[in-house]
Amino acid sequence: MKASVGDVVLPGDYCEEISAVGEKAKVIIGPGLQKEIDHVYVTKAGILKKRNPNTYWVDNYQKRYIPARGENVIGVVVQKAGDIFRVDVGSSITAALSYLSFEGATKKNKPDVQIGDVVYAKMLVASKDMEPELVCVDSHGKKGRMGVLSDGFVFKCSLNLIRKILNPNCPLLESLKNEWPFELAAGMNGRIWIKANTMRETIALGNAILGAEYLSDEEIKSMCTNIATILAGHVS
Amino acid sequence: MAGLTRKKLQLPKSVLEMKFMKRTKERIEKELENIHGHEGLYSNIITNEMRTATGNYIPEASFIYCENLIDGRLSFKGMNPEIERLMELETAKEEESGEMQKDVSDEVLAKNMNKFKSRKRPSLTPSKYNVTAKKKK
Repeated sequence: MKASVGDVVLPGDYCEEISAVGEKAKVIIGPGLQKEIDHVYVTKAGILKKRNPNTYWVDNYQKRYIPARGENVIGVVVQKAGDIFRVDVGSSITAALSYLSFEGATKKNKPDVQIGDVVYAKMLVASKDMEPELVCVDSHGKKGRMGVLSDGFVFKCSLNLIRKILNPNCPLLESLKNEWPFELAAGMNGRIWIKANTMRETIALGNAILGAEYLSDEEIKSMCTNIATILAGHVS
Repeated sequence: MAGLTRKKLQLPKSVLEMKFMKRTKERIEKELENIHGHEGLYSNIITNEMRTATGNYIPEASFIYCENLIDGRLSFKGMNPEIERLMELETAKEEESGEMQKDVSDEVLAKNMNKFKSRKRPSLTPSKYNVTAKKKK
């Protein structure tokens, strides 16, 4: 069936608008869209979205992570195998993380990573038919924001929630950031690591994030002020 | 492909016929055969679409670029100074790439430039051009 931007689409639908634009200009087709010989087909059930300039994708509900190159994810080290760590990122197979892809690591100076550690890493290789590969350094060899996450608390959520809170227009982090000190790492694989000074604050932060999934922007703002007042002890 | 090989320097036939050039001759013949063989070999795999396909469609597997998502590692109110420093650097970079900070606003600059232009400028090195310009006035 023909579909246009903003529609609810199902796998097998096709969008002629994208093909028309693709005749003249460059088009970026994101997740959930696939170029076939005659049309651009939808491969996921969701809402067809567009962003200028000429970027199309399908916004769908999903909990299973499919590795994509360049995404930052949170993984748990499950095995040390020779010169790589195997990291569970929630995809169909574990990802490989070389011990040399840490800042300042050499063959003699191995990074201190144990089985069970939580790492925040970037997908370097994410191919359909191969084991995904992670790195904990950027192209300059600096660790940047990646590396082992110590302490804190990890919980899982849908992939949509991650995208929702990392959207620049989302008011959640904007309204929480001035309330109490906290640290957060959101992996595109549907895992969030949070760390605050006390357990009460950590729980409040976790609840605020999980509660935001099905709320509108206005509701998120009021929920955040609610949580902040409860935490401050004004309401018991 | 054939065009490329034609452009390549080729040894004259008379030279290739010589006895010591036997191996080179064989190699060149083999190369030519390979080039001609390619089109026939892959004709069932190379489709018309492959020949006419345009590079206008860029597949992108990640939502990050589609939805313009921010980096997921954040720290607030001094929980992790290292991360906060990186966040500050990033926001500073974004602001810089936007509009440059101005010491003098556009209006003040325009006013002053008008004053500056209307004022007769004493030339430091009097030249032929300056003199002629004054005469015209």
